[in-house]
Amino acid sequence: MNELFSELKQAIIDGDEDIVEELSQKVIDESINPVDAVQEGLIKGIEVVGELWKAGEVFLPDVMMSAEAMKVGLGLLEPEIAKLGMSEGESKGKIVLGTVEGDIHDIGKNITGAMFTAAGYKVFDIGTDIKAEDFVLKAQEVGADIIGASALLTTTMSAQKQIIDYLIEHNLKDQFKVFIGGGPTSQAYADEIGADGWAESADEAVALADRMLAK
Amino acid sequence: MLPKYNVLTEEQVLIIHNESIKILEEIGMDFEYEPALKVFRDQGLKVEGNRVHFTREFIEGKVKLAPAEFTLHARNPEHNLVCGGENIIYMPGYGAPFIQLADGTRRKSTMQDYENIVKLAGASKNLHMTGGTVAEPQDIPDEIRHLKMIYSSIKNSDKCFMGSAEGRERAQDSIEMAALLFGGKDVIKEKPVLISLINSLTPLKFDERMLGALMAYAEAGQAVVVASLVMAGSTGPAALVGTLALQNAEVLAGIALAQSINPGTPVVYGSTSALSDMRTGSLSIGSPETALFISASAQIARFYGVPSRSGGGLNDSKIVDAQAGYESMMTLMAASVTGINFVLHTAGILQYFMAISYEKFMMDDEMAGMLLHYLKGFNFDEDGLAYDAIAKVGPGGHFLTQKHTRKNHKKEFRTPQLSDRAAFDAWSKEKLDTNQRAHKQWQEVLANYVPPALDENIDKKLLEFIAQRS
Repeated sequence: MNELFSELKQAIIDGDEDIVEELSQKVIDESINPVDAVQEGLIKGIEVVGELWKAGEVFLPDVMMSAEAMKVGLGLLEPEIAKLGMSEGESKGKIVLGTVEGDIHDIGKNITGAMFTAAGYKVFDIGTDIKAEDFVLKAQEVGADIIGASALLTTTMSAQKQIIDYLIEHNLKDQFKVFIGGGPTSQAYADEIGADGWAESADEAVALADRMLAK
Repeated sequence: MLPKYNVLTEEQVLIIHNESIKILEEIGMDFEYEPALKVFRDQGLKVEGNRVHFTREFIEGKVKLAPAEFTLHARNPEHNLVCGGENIIYMPGYGAPFIQLADGTRRKSTMQDYENIVKLAGASKNLHMTGGTVAEPQDIPDEIRHLKMIYSSIKNSDKCFMGSAEGRERAQDSIEMAALLFGGKDVIKEKPVLISLINSLTPLKFDERMLGALMAYAEAGQAVVVASLVMAGSTGPAALVGTLALQNAEVLAGIALAQSINPGTPVVYGSTSALSDMRTGSLSIGSPETALFISASAQIARFYGVPSRSGGGLNDSKIVDAQAGYESMMTLMAASVTGINFVLHTAGILQYFMAISYEKFMMDDEMAGMLLHYLKGFNFDEDGLAYDAIAKVGPGGHFLTQKHTRKNHKKEFRTPQLSDRAAFDAWSKEKLDTNQRAHKQWQEVLANYVPPALDENIDKKLLEFIAQRS
């Protein structure tokens, strides 16, 4: 059984979602404890990737493929954990990520999602062209700590403010931290619209979340 | 004029062409705009949802309809530009949301910045047109930004400028304003005055905003640059040839759409393909790979017989430093010597398109001047051979007191505008580096610039139009 977990861990490090899928299915088929598979296999693997990244030993595609593989494994094992009425254990935090309404650029958001995954966060990527209301609904549904909103165009930045306005309007502002990012955004803009966090790169966004949620 | 050099063999160009055709036939492209899909359906192409499957015959036939060169008309006919052939057109950077200041700080760009850069481009001897969205005026509401920008481009210079690509409606506003300036839509349909930047959404998509603008301009007979920015490694493969094939497929599809709407629409083959840095994922434009994409794009456009757009003073540096200089010279030179015709982003760009800097603008203007001089090549007439002067001086002696020298150096040598050639001691008095010299220079140029007068009647009509549309 230990061997299966170390194989899972290695498959995450290798970013091989096919093998992760195969091994996760094996966990289910052989009625192995899915919580252990997540904790001892998937999470151990992504931790290694996160450390390698920090050390500058792996590149972005490595991290992103590991994060994808992680998603595949969790996609199979989480329903099983829920079915068995077990608890998955605590993640570092939950973040709902999306690109704002009117904007369809998603590379930056995807990189950020992968970095948060590699850092041990639970990421809910809700896609592009997302209305303020839908960010908030998803955040409420999953009990998110952070709402992360991306915008690449000067013409869609205002939609980041709409999320904050929506939260204020519905008395929800203190329930979530709102992070914004994207090419034309800045710390000054984040301050102006009342966002809790801004970062220029995915790495910095993770570091900021670490600091903010630790408080 | 120096001959343009090639980086691909004829066979390699054909391979890229065939790969692009295979992409367009077998994978197809998404067009998120019903009127564009209708055009393709009417042309007999297979359209499923937003996905259009092209055929070799269609693409090759349509691209043949695009003119090899065209004239872009300016308010002052002396500034009319021929786009295509051996010609090169330099202009400012496009679309940056920030201004990087000489002291190292960065702020949002404003309408005042837009106006200043139009004026600096208007005053430049090396920039042929004033470009478009030279700074994103973030202090102006989005809905009327395009109107203010077009007006500023018209009012502050009599060189050619660009129209808005922000959807059909704003393209139409641009066309209306150009028609007011040039005497009617019929006039400009015969003589294109606007050129606009239509970008694909890599990989293999065009969005509604860009398609709406493309269709409006094509219908009005105005020129469009159809450009693709593949970020190799993220929005495209981590392979140079594969990236070129992907870019080429997108640009060909856009050109084919323009030609289907209005055969003979002036188009420019555009490329800004570059890299995704594999550590940060960010766009990296000041790279040797970008220079290869630029060079190959010039050649691929020649293969199709259409003008090309690429290059510029591209760099990833944050400030006006050595990196900004050496990266920009590599990409601007690659564009210039391989035969790119329309060089958007020639001047001002820093931070992979995110910022414009006035100081960088002056530095790039100097580089543009250096390259224009370089491109002139050699003079082989009697003055160029200078045998008589050589004979007169003979062995020993010097040429400084020769009439030939006094006269000919003005033709053959270029005097720098910004570079410092003083001796060390003379330089040491003020110790100004390039950034500091450029900082002084742009303020002087701006203070001395007088915009060419605009006909009062036309001015009034333009202002009325803006008031009515605001």
